[in-house]
Amino acid sequence: MAKHNEINILIIDDETVLREGSERILSREGWTTATAENGESGLSLLEKNEFQILLLDLMMPGISGMDVLKEVQEHYPELLVIVVTGYATIENAVSAMKNGAYDFIPKPFTPDQLRLVIQRAIKNLTLKREAELLRLEQQKSLQDIANEKNRTLTIINHMADGVLVTDQNGCVVLHNPAITRMLELEKELPVEKNILEWSGNREFTEMLENVLNPKNSHSQGISRELSWGEPLQRFFIAHSAPVRNEQGDILGSVTIFNDVTRFKELDRMKSDFVNMASHELRSPLSSIRQQISVITEGLAGEISTGQEKILNRVLQRIDGHIAMISNLLDLSRIEAGRLVQQKERIILPEIIEEVVELMSGEAEKKGITFKVTIDSQVFPVHADRQSMETVLTNLVSNAIKYNREGGAISINAQNSGEFVELKVSDNGVGIEKENLSQIFDKFYRIRTEKTRQVVGSGLGLPLVKDIVEAHLGMITVESNPEKETTFTVLLPRGMN
Amino acid sequence: MAKILVVDDDPDLVESVTIILESKNHEVVQAYGGIEGLEKAKSEKPDAIILDVMMPDKDGYEVCKELKGDTEYSNIPILLLTAVVSQIPNSTYTSRMGMETEADDYVDKPVEPGELVKLVERLLAG
Repeated sequence: MAKHNEINILIIDDETVLREGSERILSREGWTTATAENGESGLSLLEKNEFQILLLDLMMPGISGMDVLKEVQEHYPELLVIVVTGYATIENAVSAMKNGAYDFIPKPFTPDQLRLVIQRAIKNLTLKREAELLRLEQQKSLQDIANEKNRTLTIINHMADGVLVTDQNGCVVLHNPAITRMLELEKELPVEKNILEWSGNREFTEMLENVLNPKNSHSQGISRELSWGEPLQRFFIAHSAPVRNEQGDILGSVTIFNDVTRFKELDRMKSDFVNMASHELRSPLSSIRQQISVITEGLAGEISTGQEKILNRVLQRIDGHIAMISNLLDLSRIEAGRLVQQKERIILPEIIEEVVELMSGEAEKKGITFKVTIDSQVFPVHADRQSMETVLTNLVSNAIKYNREGGAISINAQNSGEFVELKVSDNGVGIEKENLSQIFDKFYRIRTEKTRQVVGSGLGLPLVKDIVEAHLGMITVESNPEKETTFTVLLPRGMN
Repeated sequence: MAKILVVDDDPDLVESVTIILESKNHEVVQAYGGIEGLEKAKSEKPDAIILDVMMPDKDGYEVCKELKGDTEYSNIPILLLTAVVSQIPNSTYTSRMGMETEADDYVDKPVEPGELVKLVERLLAG
């Protein structure tokens, strides 16, 4: 294709005066011209060079202008042909136009008339070129969109996660092979039918209804664990989010399914293993403990003070180990999200009393006294009883273990906004600042001269933290080394 | 004093419980498994039974259920020796937790001699 602004004009005319006159007029305008005196030489020029406009005399000896026109239409359809004809043969001009000529100019013509008709042709050429450019551009954009669409589809179709897209009515508009596999669906999803009707899964239906509900317009999405199918149950983590337009109206939903069936299975195997291991670990320890305590109680004959001292130390170590096994077990349960499943209405002060009662023996041995302050208006909490006992037992047990002889422990329960605040303080060895951040880490134990004699597993506080957080609460610690340590637990209030 | 049946698959545990109980002048009958325990409960007609939960041949819950379901033996008080493990959700023993209530009392292992003595006294007093 010729350069954008380049205009080459071919003049085919047997009359020398007209041919040369036209060439002069057009050259003066800056257009490139070529001339031919008959049809044959004109056609051969067309073969060799590229022209945009042809000024063609119809009445010529040899090949007629009409034949040249036909030839041009066949081989150079882009070429704009302006026919030149006398008034007497105006019908010829009309039939030339019918045969594809762009314009005509009657003979004789003035230079202005010629310029005008050529300028019109050039304008037409320019418009045509611009239109062509636009068309190409549009084609490219369409291609880009198609490519983008293809890319997105390829990504979606090859994702290991399942993808399900619905419109605002819950009808499926897009899904990938993974979801078909996961949910064991028919290849073709019932497109017209609302997913809420055919999924048959109540949890999923609820989730999607929530996401699509225009009232939840600020919602960013929901993640939930779903179980699906019978009898071979599969488990998914589904992340569902609304799709919105620019105005923020909900147009539909996108849900990504992550298959966690295998993880669940592994988790169950882990739990079974932990159950088995802890039973096998605990049983012999229990048996050993029982036998030693028979000796220390003097039931198997007199023992010396020295022997009793050693055996009591052995008992302590065994207790430490038994506690560690219990904590390990609890921790593996809470990691499986099981420990806090039986929530009920709990009055914390009751549990505090139970735990203080339970631990009073141990406290007495070190001459430690309790100071319990409970606000009688303290809210009940919605929690798992056993978990709450574990929290308090661990905190109080630590307060005893890390306390000094004849120390004191204060336990406080009061309301704090929408939370119940529980404080357990001791005036024992305290915790150095650099250790504070690590005390909730698993198996972390502070080893100093003062704590060396304390039996512990390093699992108590991580367990407490996990439980508190599983109840949507939080735990913090403050300490003044050599003076006191306070653990503060905040638990959200339950219904009255 | 009283005749007490001690059932546990761990002989060491049976032995130590025996020593504790004999120190209080109780007569102790020993059994080392669920099936043996059930037989001895029937043949010896003890005044009380101390029964372990986790036993390979027949667990304590089953033994307890059979005895409590038989009017001839249902009045023998039973103390179940449980392990924390028995409280794990989804484990074999959890589904039978409800049966614990059929026992007259239960205690987590290990148990201090003094506490065991107290529990047995309470059991015998009804």
